[in-house]
Amino acid sequence: MVFRDVVKVYPLPAGDVVALDGVSFRVDRGEFISVMGPSGSGKSTLLNLMGCLDTPTSGDIYISGTRIGDMSDAELTSLRRDRIGFIFQYFNLFPLLNIIENVTFPMMLKTGKGVDPERGREVLRAVQLDDKLFTHTPTELSGGQQQRVAVARALINNPDILLCDEPTGNLDSKTGAGIMDLMTDLNRKGTTIIMVTHDPNIAEYSKRTIRIADGRIVS
Amino acid sequence: MIFWEIAKRNIRIHLLRSSLAMLGIVIGVVAIASMGILGNSMVLSVSDSLRTVGDSVIVTPHAGGGGGGFGGGGGSSSALVITEQDYQQIKRVSAPNIAIPVLQTTDRLKLGVGKDDLVAMIYGIDPEDMPDFFILESGDYSRSSSGCLVGSTFAKDNNVKVGSRITVGTDGNKGTLRVTGIIEERGMAFDVSTDSAVVATQDWFNNAYSRNDYDKVVIKVKNLDDITAVKEAIEKQMNRRDETVDVMDTRKVMESIFEAFGQITTFVSAIGGISMLVAGVSILNIMMMSVTERIKEIGIMRSIGAQRKEVMSMFLYEAMILGVVGSIIGGILSLLGGYAISSLMLQTTEYLFVPSSLIHIVYGMVFGIVICLICGIYPAWRAANLNPIDALRHE
Ligand SMILES: Nc1ncnc2c1ncn2[C@@H]1O[C@H](COP(=O)(O)OP(=O)(O)O)[C@@H](O)[C@H]1O
Ligand SMILES: [Mg+2]
Repeated sequence: MVFRDVVKVYPLPAGDVVALDGVSFRVDRGEFISVMGPSGSGKSTLLNLMGCLDTPTSGDIYISGTRIGDMSDAELTSLRRDRIGFIFQYFNLFPLLNIIENVTFPMMLKTGKGVDPERGREVLRAVQLDDKLFTHTPTELSGGQQQRVAVARALINNPDILLCDEPTGNLDSKTGAGIMDLMTDLNRKGTTIIMVTHDPNIAEYSKRTIRIADGRIVS
Repeated sequence: MIFWEIAKRNIRIHLLRSSLAMLGIVIGVVAIASMGILGNSMVLSVSDSLRTVGDSVIVTPHAGGGGGGFGGGGGSSSALVITEQDYQQIKRVSAPNIAIPVLQTTDRLKLGVGKDDLVAMIYGIDPEDMPDFFILESGDYSRSSSGCLVGSTFAKDNNVKVGSRITVGTDGNKGTLRVTGIIEERGMAFDVSTDSAVVATQDWFNNAYSRNDYDKVVIKVKNLDDITAVKEAIEKQMNRRDETVDVMDTRKVMESIFEAFGQITTFVSAIGGISMLVAGVSILNIMMMSVTERIKEIGIMRSIGAQRKEVMSMFLYEAMILGVVGSIIGGILSLLGGYAISSLMLQTTEYLFVPSSLIHIVYGMVFGIVICLICGIYPAWRAANLNPIDALRHE
């Protein structure tokens, strides 16, 4: 993945907000990168662009050689579905679906039909979630358990890239460490991971750190 | 599919508000269907009592319109009659269909010594033509010139039987008739309405009222396809120089009556439709709520790969479930309600279980579902076109 002179401006009535101001870097397959910086510095914006949730105001972003600025909304959506996994700070599970359904949801999107729940169970076991919880609803689970479900959901379509926006931000340090062990393990198996955090202890798990301030990379 | 499942569950967890919105649709369907059924039942019951099947051409003297100049003879009612000569011409052009001349007037009747006078319609018809017009429920057609037939309502109301005597005219100055037969109920008709009338012979009528002309001529058309041709032939023959007669084709009249009834039915159904529009507004309202309270969820779906059209389908399913369930309940209630109303108001349900009535339930249901879908489109479109990032940031 390559970023070249990427600028992202949010036009607001009160004046434009320059969230990213000429960012260039590259991420190679299998890397484990943490993105650090103060609040409002543009970390989430950077991650959203990597995740094809938005296109840059100017500059180019290439994912496996394809320029995302040239792709339609439907193509970007398929790309997110098939090749990118998202993990959010607030877990963001679907309250109307049970745990198995939450996990298999992206796979149902991909295949366009029902999915064998066994596939969901496998992935849930891989993130070490207790079998008893599989048919519960998300609100019946603790934060750490919910985040494990979110990780399982992000992994179900075997993505190349895992994007995490402060994945441990809402967890105590012990539970957070459990999630980070899971990530390290995934990275060892070949998944590229880019993780936003402002906790230096969490950034320790990554192999490289990009520091960002006021929409620019500082190191 | 999963979006179908989500739509169902979302309705279930908001059961109260979904039911209330659905209630609107139920009421809308019931309003449209019951108005339609009621209207149609009325049409059917009226058309049943308009027994005339529309097989007649009726010729009357041309009414209204200056033209004339000369009035008729002084005291007699102005000469709005069909002369014997006119009748012969009409008879000739309408052959081989039979042209029956009819005399009619209203006069006082007395049904026995000491009884009160009453006023009724008296027809004068040639006894030979009577079997073409009337079916008798009792007695026989009149053979002697002072015999007469009476309508069934007239007979019932005045306790008249075969053999009863009727004195006609003020102080009986027109003579006395003997009832030889009672005519079966004919309903309202365009040719002659006999239910509350007396039918005397033409000879007697001519004598009593000193007439040698007719009030109208009824042509019974054997082949219904000829009805227009007969009408036109008479018009052509009789109105060549002056408008001397008016020619009415009962089938046309029936058609326009039913057309008018149809329009009334459509109009009242449309009023029912207004309640459906109101229901649509409440569907729109809860669908907007459904979208607004799930903006974050939509953002998550979009970010993990749900296409716009999939998000859209989720909300359309929701609107459709509301519409279909509401319409089905409404349809069932309309059937029950229609049954109750028909049996109470029309004393019969024979007009309910016919396609032309039941179709109104289908109209109501289809309209309900279509309204729900239309009212679901905008919220669904809004949901599908949310910017994923903004939706994700939404709290
Ligand atoms: N969707 C948006 N619309 C408008 N402004 C935004 C939007 N997203 C982010 N911003 C603004 O861009 C800047 C960077 O935001 P963000 O990338 O969320 O920072 P971080 O994640 O580092 O806290 C902030 O000033 C924020 O207010
Ligand atoms: Mg952020």
